Amino acid sequence: MSVPPSHPSARPAARNRRRLVVTGVLSAGLLLAACSSNSSSSTTTSAGSSSTTAKANDPYLAADLKAGAAQLTGAGSTFVQPVFTKAFYAYSTLNPAVTVNYQAVGSGAGITAFQGGTVNFGASDVPMSAADIAKVPASYGGVLQVPDTLGGVTLSYNLPGVKTGLKLDASAISGIFLGTIAKWNDPAIASLNPGVSLPDQPITTVHRSDGSGTNYIFTDYLSTVSPAWAAGPGKGKSVTWPAASVGSSGNSGVAASVKSTPYSIGYVELAYALQNNFTFAAVKNAAGVYVLPTLASVAADASHDPNVTSTNFSIVNQPGTASYPIAGYSWALIAMKQPNNTSGKTLVQVLDWMTHTGGGQDQAPSLGYVPLPANIQALARQTLLQATDPSGATLLTK
Amino acid sequence: MSVTTLDPPEDPVLARRAAIQLAATSSLRRRKAYSTAGIWVCRAFLLIAVIPLLGVILYVVSKGLPAWNVDFFTQVTKPEGIPNGGIKNAIVGSLIIDGIAVAFSVPFGVVGGLFLAESDGRIAGGVRLMADVLTGVPSITIGIFGYIVWVKNVGSYSGLAGAFAISIVMIPVIMRAAETALRGVPGTLSEAALSLGARKFTIARRVVVPAALPGLITGVLLAVARGAGETAPLLFTAFGNQFLQTNPTKPMETMPHTIYTYSSQPYADLVQIAWGTALLLMLVILVLNVGSRLIAARLGRERG
Amino acid sequence: MSGGTVSRRRRFTVPDRAYRFALAAAAALFAALLVAFVTAMAIQAVPAFSTLGASFLWGTVWDPYHNIFGLLPFIVGTLETTAIALFLAVPIGIGTALALAYLVPNGLRAPLSTTVELLAAVPSVVYGLWGLVVVAPFFAVHVEPTLTSLFGWTGLFAGPNQGVGLLLAGVILFIMVLPTLVAISRDVLAAVPREQVEGAMAVGATRWQVLWRVVVPGARTGLLGAFTLATGRALGETVAVALVIGNSAHLATSLKANAATIPSLIVSSFGEATGTQLNVLFAAALVLLVVGIAVNALGRFFVRSVKRSGAASVAVA
Repeated sequence: MSVPPSHPSARPAARNRRRLVVTGVLSAGLLLAACSSNSSSSTTTSAGSSSTTAKANDPYLAADLKAGAAQLTGAGSTFVQPVFTKAFYAYSTLNPAVTVNYQAVGSGAGITAFQGGTVNFGASDVPMSAADIAKVPASYGGVLQVPDTLGGVTLSYNLPGVKTGLKLDASAISGIFLGTIAKWNDPAIASLNPGVSLPDQPITTVHRSDGSGTNYIFTDYLSTVSPAWAAGPGKGKSVTWPAASVGSSGNSGVAASVKSTPYSIGYVELAYALQNNFTFAAVKNAAGVYVLPTLASVAADASHDPNVTSTNFSIVNQPGTASYPIAGYSWALIAMKQPNNTSGKTLVQVLDWMTHTGGGQDQAPSLGYVPLPANIQALARQTLLQATDPSGATLLTK
Repeated sequence: MSVTTLDPPEDPVLARRAAIQLAATSSLRRRKAYSTAGIWVCRAFLLIAVIPLLGVILYVVSKGLPAWNVDFFTQVTKPEGIPNGGIKNAIVGSLIIDGIAVAFSVPFGVVGGLFLAESDGRIAGGVRLMADVLTGVPSITIGIFGYIVWVKNVGSYSGLAGAFAISIVMIPVIMRAAETALRGVPGTLSEAALSLGARKFTIARRVVVPAALPGLITGVLLAVARGAGETAPLLFTAFGNQFLQTNPTKPMETMPHTIYTYSSQPYADLVQIAWGTALLLMLVILVLNVGSRLIAARLGRERG
Repeated sequence: MSGGTVSRRRRFTVPDRAYRFALAAAAALFAALLVAFVTAMAIQAVPAFSTLGASFLWGTVWDPYHNIFGLLPFIVGTLETTAIALFLAVPIGIGTALALAYLVPNGLRAPLSTTVELLAAVPSVVYGLWGLVVVAPFFAVHVEPTLTSLFGWTGLFAGPNQGVGLLLAGVILFIMVLPTLVAISRDVLAAVPREQVEGAMAVGATRWQVLWRVVVPGARTGLLGAFTLATGRALGETVAVALVIGNSAHLATSLKANAATIPSLIVSSFGEATGTQLNVLFAAALVLLVVGIAVNALGRFFVRSVKRSGAASVAVA
């Protein structure tokens, strides 16, 4: 029987020498391989123009770029993370005295961090409820909720042989996700798609298992267009799904599930679907037109509801022939009364820059996000103008 | 072994001996067959264990190696769309946070393990149960605990809070693994030392711990591997940072956090960086593993 | 301990009482940490009890929109995945550890051991992604149909072959706990005193009998330690499970069904939860602690009873 290594009679020296050689060879080999590969792995280029000069007719933007030195932190929504990090990076290039560290911990955790005062601003896909607002410190003097990004939700599917553009209407979508429409060649789907050969296979639906703004927007849409859905799972960041529906974590989880499961369908945010060339459905909007999700169609939907506020924020299923019906905003949260003069003013100015064309919104299209419509940008500025320093003076200036 | 049939059957002892010999010969073949079967089953299990493990390694290597270039190691994380991104801030942050965590957890855990190994009483049983239960706590709740206890009271995220959370993940593992290794040292060794007049501390320091060193190192390495790869404890404590930060009182980026953030992004190049980071993490643990065993062997030789 | 003359240098030593005190202090500090942890969780969990009453602990429906939070599906899911993982890990883990300690040629022992230990270094999210992208399709196409045709009569394999689900989560957990289990078990098995091993060989035991009747029982306590750590990891694993378990808030009665565990629930919901749902998550963490205590106590009891009945069987060759 071979001797176990821990017995005194085992010889460690030769064995360890061998191990060292193996590790050395392995490491050297890996390093060699690494050094000989390309130096840059990034394939997307920065398409949006990060303007070096502010728009001539917007005096606020010029002042925004001269904000005082500050190190700001923000936490919250994962949905906005790519846009935020790119926009803040662009801002820091123009004004190196300011750095913003934004981390995507989830909208709920972001609200908790905002309530606890450990971050300068929060970010949430769904505005804070009255109960949450009641929990912020009294010194905040209230909460300002600023729309900062616009996104859409696609219905991405994996149907061998069927290209992008499968037509689905509200009752088909809600039937699929409720489980009442069980097969792809069900008449409810086939009647919308004459000429497309749909397979006789069961539909596997994939949903987001983690609470998310994407869930909220999608279920908001379903609750608006389908009474059966509104009476059943309802709308929210987390709802109950049928037992056979696969729950995956995050957009990437849903995407991976859909990609590796034939005959499946899931909902994925627009940026994700565009970046990874998914096949997605054309959804029938309120005007009766089947529209594919694009930056333009989401913007069209948003532009039909100019009266958005933090309490009335749903923009699903808007009128308009070019509108894509499944869309929603994300919101930045700041204290109305900023505790510190310098960093408070900088925070407000950076957010103002972030929410306007000529500033942060220019970074959105290259990443697959939709720039805020002009009227919503005006709403953002109006909201930010309400921010004051401890003595009550307005912070946002030209 | 042959059996003589000429023994007089009236002698019961000899008859019994003959019966045993007969049983032994026939059973030997059967026992040998069982033995060979059992041994090959164990070897087959080893193969079953190694195959998926190799599968994971190969998968990580195939997805992560393309990400390794000079920028990867020398540049900080950049947002999507900005070229020349790397993970320098994550590497530095991981080294600092895990270094602090290990410096705290290893002595604490080994001393705790000594306590458990030397006592069999009810109190030790209670502490042992506590350690076992704590290893089963989801790491995200440990992160939340770190947020409540450290971050909220201090007012800001920091690398130290992250190290605190990682320590809580590592300590119970080290304690139990250390106890197991220390209990494996034969009692005769410590008794011999005791009979020579050594104090308990000396016995621990010069007899038991060195004898248990291979097992202790295994336990520490397992704990470090687990702690270095955990993301959830760091989400609400170390928070993350797109910039290089060497001050542990400020938020810091770490490798598991980069993996977590990047692997869920829609952008293929960031996903590739996530895999490259996972590969680097595994390589670091491999080097730690082999290196520490070499050092232990060298120390063992010096001692004689 | 080195040979030669006695050193004149005063050796550093510590009185016994101080040494015992230091050890006890470390243990006390550790206990205080755990108490602080439980208290922090409990404070956050209390509002859930005052709003919902205690019945949510065993409720079977999880419906956040209607403020119905039942934890039973998640408790059951946690126990099911851990059971699957341990069912696979116990035999395969002991077998692998035995092989590594005694049954492979000297040259292979080191690289194989290092490979197994290295797998403890793979981050949890990597296991989850590999499981989702590589193993799940393999399960859906090959493993699940085969198992259904062989064992479908048990009723445990009802439902569509989706790949993800309870079985995949259990298997991924098994792979994740294997390195810890094997590494510690290997050391413990190898540390069985040589005299016992040789003594058994001397009375004519075959190799297998020596391993199974002398080495494994001799290492019993250490093996329990290894399995406890493995169980802990299986109970508390978050991200990897969340990616492969299918995340369905319904009680799973089939191995192919989608399910959820308490850790996967926490990691999925925590980032977005506010209000009562957040409090319920903290209560769920406490429930998991209780489950952990119960599982640990059960394991200890089991080993103690084996010890008692096994003492007589060592003598049989």
